[in-house]
Amino acid sequence: MNKKLLLVDDEEGIRKVLGIALSDAGYTVFLAKNAEEALEIFRKETPPIVLTDIKMPGMDGIELLQKIKRENPDTEVIMISGHGDMDLAIKSLKYQAIDFVTKPINDDVLEIALNRAHEKIRMREQLREYTENLETLVSEKSAKLIEVERQVAVGQAVEGLSSAMRDIAGDLEGGLTYFNEMPCFVSVHNPKLKIIAVNPLYKERLGDKVGHNSWDVYSANTGVGFTCPAEKTFKTGKGLRTKAILKTADGDKAPVIVHTAPIRNQDGTVELVVEISADITEVKRLREELNRTQQRYQQLFDEVPCYISVQDRQFQLTATNRRFKEDFDVQIGAFCHEVYKHRDAPCPNCPVARTFEDGQSHQAEMVVTAKTGEQYNVLIWTAPLKNPAGEITHVMEMSTNITEIRKLQDNLSSLGLKISSISHGIKGLLTGLDGGMYLMETGFAKAKPERVHAGWEDVKTIVSRIRKLVHDILFFAKERELKRDRVHILNFAEDVASTVEPKIKADGIEFVRDFDTLPAEIEIDAGVVRLALINILENALDACAEDDAPKRHKIVFSVKGDDQQVKFEIKDNGIGMDRETRENLFTLFFSSKGNKGTGLGLFIADKIIDQHGGKITVQSTPGQGSNFKITIPGSFQNTTRNPKEKTE
Amino acid sequence: MPKKILIIDDDPVVVKYLMAVFSDNGYATCSASSSMEGLDVVKTEKPDLICLDLQMPGEWGPRFYRKLRKDKELKDTPIIVVSGIDGDHAIKDAVAFVKKPFDPEKLIGIVKNTIG
Repeated sequence: MNKKLLLVDDEEGIRKVLGIALSDAGYTVFLAKNAEEALEIFRKETPPIVLTDIKMPGMDGIELLQKIKRENPDTEVIMISGHGDMDLAIKSLKYQAIDFVTKPINDDVLEIALNRAHEKIRMREQLREYTENLETLVSEKSAKLIEVERQVAVGQAVEGLSSAMRDIAGDLEGGLTYFNEMPCFVSVHNPKLKIIAVNPLYKERLGDKVGHNSWDVYSANTGVGFTCPAEKTFKTGKGLRTKAILKTADGDKAPVIVHTAPIRNQDGTVELVVEISADITEVKRLREELNRTQQRYQQLFDEVPCYISVQDRQFQLTATNRRFKEDFDVQIGAFCHEVYKHRDAPCPNCPVARTFEDGQSHQAEMVVTAKTGEQYNVLIWTAPLKNPAGEITHVMEMSTNITEIRKLQDNLSSLGLKISSISHGIKGLLTGLDGGMYLMETGFAKAKPERVHAGWEDVKTIVSRIRKLVHDILFFAKERELKRDRVHILNFAEDVASTVEPKIKADGIEFVRDFDTLPAEIEIDAGVVRLALINILENALDACAEDDAPKRHKIVFSVKGDDQQVKFEIKDNGIGMDRETRENLFTLFFSSKGNKGTGLGLFIADKIIDQHGGKITVQSTPGQGSNFKITIPGSFQNTTRNPKEKTE
Repeated sequence: MPKKILIIDDDPVVVKYLMAVFSDNGYATCSASSSMEGLDVVKTEKPDLICLDLQMPGEWGPRFYRKLRKDKELKDTPIIVVSGIDGDHAIKDAVAFVKKPFDPEKLIGIVKNTIG
């Protein structure tokens, strides 16, 4: 406690006596004989208590009080007054003197006055202390608030960095794109090189290093003079990327790639550094695991006995398996309908489109064309592929080649179909025979020769029909041996033409014979080749009859050749065919004519020509017409050919 | 006045046969080779019985039958189906269903039972 005291009185006796008394009371007493001297001492010593006479020559006690209070309001001033100047004493209280004592000075009164002064001082000090504490408290609390704010800012910065993390992932050469799955240690450092925040993985692997030095986690072998990445970044103000080895919490070493990024405050000075360390071994391990998994899927993808493709909404192939590539000409980005069916537009019953629509799996059966030109029946399943948001981005299509099964079924169903139509036909024929026999019998009985004759005509008609039916059955039952006929090309062609001409002309279609052939003979089974050509000519007729285009329709039947080879050409300007129709043309039961077609005509024609060692080629453009070219060698060998080995 | 029978069948041999059988048994006959023609003949000839085949080019027998049944005057004309296919359900109130090939004696028996 400051026990300094300034005593001011112009009477030396009072200064001396009172001075001694106050010194005895423990005060360090400064004496002044007037106000001017008192101010001087006051300014030098700043005593907390001043004791001053009121009436003094020169500046009086009141004026001194005012000056002291102005210069240091905390100083307590006690006034000394003589008798009769009570007014002045009271006036001094107005000027904030703490008390006054009257001469002669009573020690007790003086002590009370001094105590009051001390009390006032103590109270004021307490108040100040309290006030000052409050200020400390406020500044402490504000500092904490600022820290919290800053941490929030750091959190945001870390979140914002997740996009930057993707770049880092790029450094690791992996396709790891998801921040959460990245084995990264993230920490935030302040300029004092203390760690102020870490992410959970950091905490788990390296320990909770919050409050530790920035360089603590770096392995000891980094040596003296090692500047840790955070420090470098604080110094240079630039982010950096470096390799380092970290000490893990359980004493292991972890090789990492360290990235740092400075975070600047508004002034542009680096306030924090974010350090992100990617564990290389972990990345390697994950990558290997990923590779293994991918490999397994790839193997599965490639080896399953299906054609698998992944398609986007435009039906473009984004992935295909090995078997698909083996059998089809695939370029990534090609359209499914192009590759599979050589169509320009998506197929009307596309199961992939349906899966895109409803997210369900769909099935379909289709005929597709392989790169060898071979036709495959495929059973198709589809499955939606979704992105993490649950939207269907792609559809996977799995097609099983069921060509062999379908062939078997074709044979069976054609057999079934044939049997039912044959049995109906036979019933009709038997009825007809009955009719013929009835007429003959009754004709004989009633002696009516014209009735016998009519019956006989019926029997002949029925017999010829039976012959035709048997021919048909033989075609379906098995490949029958060809019958060898020597025919004159021109006569043969004329015979074919005259069979179809009336029918074609009846439909108002022009029929042109273009026979340019040497008078040569060839060896063919005339009956069946005739049937094949008529089938094709009748198709040309249908193609013209169905065409609504306002043009003069025309069918040209040309024949060229010699005894080595004969070429027939049947050309129409009817509706023409798209590629799918063209490729399915010779398939059993394929018909582009709806219910009007049986799907048998061209199948039989192809089979016949093939059996002769010849071939049929087709050119056709929708809206312009078709052109069938039939080439047959001058003679044939009677071998049963496998249609699969047919070269085209 | 003999009873008249209309024969509808696309096979001329069968038509000839049936006409011979019926006329030999004292019936008058008329014929049509399709459903459409059959409807016309029914209206002009007003037969007492119709002998109908099921499978024919163009409209089949059942279609002829439905059209016939809509005509108030003709709807009660009895029908005997003579066909090679199993179709006894196709014409539900046919007098009889005779499968080809048929026994002429049996067919005449049915006809006699129906129209006398």
